[in-house]
Amino acid sequence: MNVLATALGHVDYLVAVALFLIGAWILVTSGNLVKKVIGLNVMETSVFAFIVTTGMIDGGAPPLVVEGMEGPYASPLPHALVLTGIVVAVSITSLALVLILRVKSQFGTIELDEIVPTDEVRGAEDSDAIGGNDD
Amino acid sequence: MIDWPHWLPLLAVLPLVGGVLTPLLFYRLPTAACFWAASIAALTLAVAVALLVRLLGSGGFGYAVGGWLPQYGIELRFDEIGALAVAAGFIALLSLVFSRHYVARAVDPDRAPLYYALVLINLGGLNGFLVTGDLFNLFVFMEIFSVSAYALVAMAREPIAALAALKYLLLGALSSLLVLFSVGVVFAMTGTLNIADAAMRLDASEPMPAALALAGLAAGFAVKAALFPVHFWLPDAHAAAPAPVSAMLSALVVKAGVVGMLRTLELFGGAGELLQPLLILMVWLGAAGALGGALMALVQRDIKRMLAYSTVANIGYIFIGLGLATASAAAGAMVHVVNHAVIKSALFLAAGAIIHRTGLRNIDDLRGLGQRMPVTCFAMALALVSLSGVPPTAGFIGKWQIALGALDAGKPLLVAVLVAAGVIVLAFGIRVINALYFRPPARMSVATATDSPASMWLPLVILAFGCIGLGLAGQPMLQFVAPAVQGLYGIVP
Repeated sequence: MNVLATALGHVDYLVAVALFLIGAWILVTSGNLVKKVIGLNVMETSVFAFIVTTGMIDGGAPPLVVEGMEGPYASPLPHALVLTGIVVAVSITSLALVLILRVKSQFGTIELDEIVPTDEVRGAEDSDAIGGNDD
Repeated sequence: MIDWPHWLPLLAVLPLVGGVLTPLLFYRLPTAACFWAASIAALTLAVAVALLVRLLGSGGFGYAVGGWLPQYGIELRFDEIGALAVAAGFIALLSLVFSRHYVARAVDPDRAPLYYALVLINLGGLNGFLVTGDLFNLFVFMEIFSVSAYALVAMAREPIAALAALKYLLLGALSSLLVLFSVGVVFAMTGTLNIADAAMRLDASEPMPAALALAGLAAGFAVKAALFPVHFWLPDAHAAAPAPVSAMLSALVVKAGVVGMLRTLELFGGAGELLQPLLILMVWLGAAGALGGALMALVQRDIKRMLAYSTVANIGYIFIGLGLATASAAAGAMVHVVNHAVIKSALFLAAGAIIHRTGLRNIDDLRGLGQRMPVTCFAMALALVSLSGVPPTAGFIGKWQIALGALDAGKPLLVAVLVAAGVIVLAFGIRVINALYFRPPARMSVATATDSPASMWLPLVILAFGCIGLGLAGQPMLQFVAPAVQGLYGIVP
């Protein structure tokens, strides 16, 4: 009962953890590269939602020191953190999408199990070998 | 002059600003970008040395960014762990000098300014990560060096470069999110983001959320450090990247994960009982990584993949040392962070020089190269001997100290693991040296190869002699890191 009450008191945290796990599941199990990036985005959103809710106070006032506004104030710091986090997330997503474009143009597919790495560039051409010395 | 307070932020700001300016300034003359990048890296190294001199004179010191007091604003701290910035600046400078001829062939010429920009931004992110005393700032700098590293891997013309970079990115972003989530948990528990402040407030009174945060941070940094079994992104990424980038990734970026783990240990020093399971896990995974990485390195044919797997093995050594949590083992692990950085960057640069001159990267194809490229091959042989830990080279001290620590902790079996991994490393070292010096050439491009230009062999020779020099400087380095060891595991003096 006690555990249940604690859990319901932090339902926002539970939702964030659930979203995080869903995103991680998509990221790890999906073979499609774009779906992997979507899973990553779900994870990012869950972390941001979690950090924003840590700043919330029941009945808290906006953190503005002006006439008629009295504490307890909600913490403004998490919002600043999340804003920075979103910028990072956007840059990672864009880089990932560009890399997916390159993978698509090289291998013709974005499904991981359809990609066959070409081994031809490894090592040198046989014309380079010195005859009779190749033991 | 040395006491000027603003040196510390300059350590991160200088390469970041220099990096961002590079594509703007050198859009039309891509060949000159190298000199600019190398001078910025040299200036950064000078700043790091000035900070080190101050640290040696008067102990660790902090800096309040923007004049905000540490608990409220962002605090930078320069301590013995942050002093790794000297090694970072040094290796980045040599990699940039090496890049001058290498990049012309390995990277699209139009993209050369972008390449140098990313290397500088990577260096700035690393320096910021090393000196920050703020948890969220730690995450931001981690993303700066990580994202630039993903892009640098993708810079190569290798056919698998984009795929390797994407794999690295997906796993790296997953680990970053674990870290950010844990930072959020720590912030929710303590109401502060300052590492030293949070360390005082965190104790074992709330074991559940603290354990969650610790697990997230440890897992996140373990991926960044490529600890076994989450190392599988590393061989592809490090083998596909341009050689100077491989050197920086193996020497510095992976070590940033280790530094992150050190900061985690500092942060949870007050909740010592929570750390115990993590430390035991670190020893086991480290031992598995040391043996597994060395074995995998032994069976590789591609020289860069071999070096990449040997990085996995050495990260294993470092984690064994940190997990043992005795003074000598932890100090040995910290010294090995620097020593392995110098050894592995020498090896990757040597491999890069060989690939640049011959176009070959298969170990069996490199037979007889010792006569054609004497300087490069000599540096490579010296670094390989050093890697296997033959005294008095740089690889010896860390491994010796970790073995001593294993005996102190009453785990003689671990010494057997360390020795076995060392023997395997020696075996593949001898395999490469044998191919380079004692076999007749099998390829025309070897028989006609000439030694690399000065911009390539000079950094190599400096690093190769660094392998010997650091080996001789073992005692002072162990004494230098001793105060940092005191701060770990909650053994506050």
